[in-house]
Amino acid sequence: MTTTTAPAPAATTTALRSRTFVQAINEALDLLLADDPRVFLLGEDIGRMGGDFGATRGLFDKYGAERVRDTPLSEAAIIGASVGAAMVGMRPVAEIMFADFIATCYDQMVNNAAKVRYMFDGQFSAPIVVRTATGGGFGGGPHHSQSVEGWFMNVPGLVIVAPSTPADAKGLMISSVEHDDPVLFLEHKALYRVKGHVPEGRYTVPLRSAAVARPGRDVTIVAAMKMTHEALAAAEALAQEGIEAEVIDLRTLRPYDAASVLESVRKTGRAVVAAESPKIGGLAAEFSALIAEECFHDLKAPVVRVAGLDTPIPFSLVLEKYILPGKAEIVAGVKKTLA
Amino acid sequence: MALDFETLLDLYHDMWTIRAFEQGLEREFKKGNVPGMLHIGVGQEATQAAVSAHLNPTDCFFPDHRCHGMFLLAGTPGEKIMAELFGRATGVCSGKGGSLHSADPKVGNFGNNAVEGSMMVTVLGPALAWKMRHEPKVACVMIGDGTVGRGEFHESLNLAQTWKLPVLYACVNNQYAISTWVGASHVSPNIVDIARGYQLPCVQVDGNDIEAAYAATTEAVNYIRAGNGPYFVEYKTYRWQGVFHGEFRPAEEVRHWKEDRDPIRLARQKLLDGGRAQAADLDQIEAGVKAEIERWIDFAMHSPPPDPAKATSDVYAEWEVEPR
Repeated sequence: MTTTTAPAPAATTTALRSRTFVQAINEALDLLLADDPRVFLLGEDIGRMGGDFGATRGLFDKYGAERVRDTPLSEAAIIGASVGAAMVGMRPVAEIMFADFIATCYDQMVNNAAKVRYMFDGQFSAPIVVRTATGGGFGGGPHHSQSVEGWFMNVPGLVIVAPSTPADAKGLMISSVEHDDPVLFLEHKALYRVKGHVPEGRYTVPLRSAAVARPGRDVTIVAAMKMTHEALAAAEALAQEGIEAEVIDLRTLRPYDAASVLESVRKTGRAVVAAESPKIGGLAAEFSALIAEECFHDLKAPVVRVAGLDTPIPFSLVLEKYILPGKAEIVAGVKKTLA
Repeated sequence: MALDFETLLDLYHDMWTIRAFEQGLEREFKKGNVPGMLHIGVGQEATQAAVSAHLNPTDCFFPDHRCHGMFLLAGTPGEKIMAELFGRATGVCSGKGGSLHSADPKVGNFGNNAVEGSMMVTVLGPALAWKMRHEPKVACVMIGDGTVGRGEFHESLNLAQTWKLPVLYACVNNQYAISTWVGASHVSPNIVDIARGYQLPCVQVDGNDIEAAYAATTEAVNYIRAGNGPYFVEYKTYRWQGVFHGEFRPAEEVRHWKEDRDPIRLARQKLLDGGRAQAADLDQIEAGVKAEIERWIDFAMHSPPPDPAKATSDVYAEWEVEPR
């Protein structure tokens, strides 16, 4: 069970191992199940079928129905059972098929998992990981496309992890299962088939640690998950115009790595916060407030929030594209800070 | 199903411990010494005593809304429970939990949850873990009749029976969810009628008859410990006091349950029948328990409040809360 910290993906001397994001998660779960008898998986259609997106593919055959456990459509029972099992020393990894469905087990996440350690004065903890597919962009409609991090940003005791690359997904999953508090692990659906270098074997990526996804001097773009990729694409386009944007990939949303964000903004003096969730009360709002509060005198322009429009997610792709932000909106946001 | 004399006498002591605790607590609450809300279980003592007598410290239980009796009988020192309810540093959760959110793993108390019915699904966890690890233990959840309306009730029974988990469902049917009679808001006033659809063994018992409640619990726990899966026991009982907002129940009904169906008075009569116990000895048990509760109240009253900085401990395992 020894773990090492992740080698920087580009700096490894071994041949590049290309894996998709979902394969990286599968590798992490496989290693965790192999190494640690406390770990088991539960969720809807995660067994024989391997999960709606294939994250648990092959694990049922390898580890059996006890440890890769198909459940009924009982989200509250999935999370409640996970919390209770964690209270007696297990390390459950639950899958909620779509993040939208968490509304049906919100009570267990917020009133139970997040508070077990606190209200019982440290006598219990609930080290569970709740994996879920989040985000829109594929015509899933109002109940299969939401970005739910805002629902949980206001819940002390929860950890929210939100990787953007396959290498981080694997390392952060292993960190999350090793971690002693409940983790909501957000997997953006648009990233599942994205490929990248994934180191072999067991390694961790630290929680509450943001990454500089691209260095730059003129403006800071703070993002996570799919929006990190949109921010990188925006930065590439801006570079053609001589604007060097620094992209901060948050990786953990709560509790977050404020120091990395603030250090970057103090350097660049400009900040765009990009998030897919609606503007009001969401991720963009939180980081905008943080930057305004801590870096006001370093700022050369007001912070710009690039977020989803304040609507539910519509079904038609034309409508969905209209409300979700992307590269173009981030470029426009950056230009606003430079105007 | 008559109990042997020693067991019955122990249970009589247990029931008086609960009643004296609750009555002392209520008195202090009315004086303003106990913050927050008050949910006491006077009238329901036989149910708690019967369930508690069947659990080991290595089992677990999730106590219900009127839970102090379960805390006590499990073995947490009474003064630590009283101090918790007074919000003091010496409480079992250092004043962070209070009546509706207190745990003590040393005695198998896995904590209650003030959102009625939420523990129905949490109890699946230890039961599942123990089954996977081949540990022959019982995971008990105490629930009220009002819990039946929650989806979690149904998710839990379905999954426990499908997976044959070692869960004791101890349903304390005191017949009212605050002001609403259970039969007015559910298809049946008998919870077993609803639970039976999930195909686990279900039994309804007089929760104010300590011998009947005890016997039903014995049968349930034996079944569970033998590895057969979950078991549902409905203890029909009644809470004596009204609720914050007043008394909504028929006066004659309340009188009947208090005067004719008092579980302690019924147990006392059984002990006295045939000269097995002397009234003076039983009075002494009552007096002794009441004196002890006064010591716990005194301990709580003289305990310091928590250090305010305690409010930020144990939010996360690794990280401190940001200062204001």
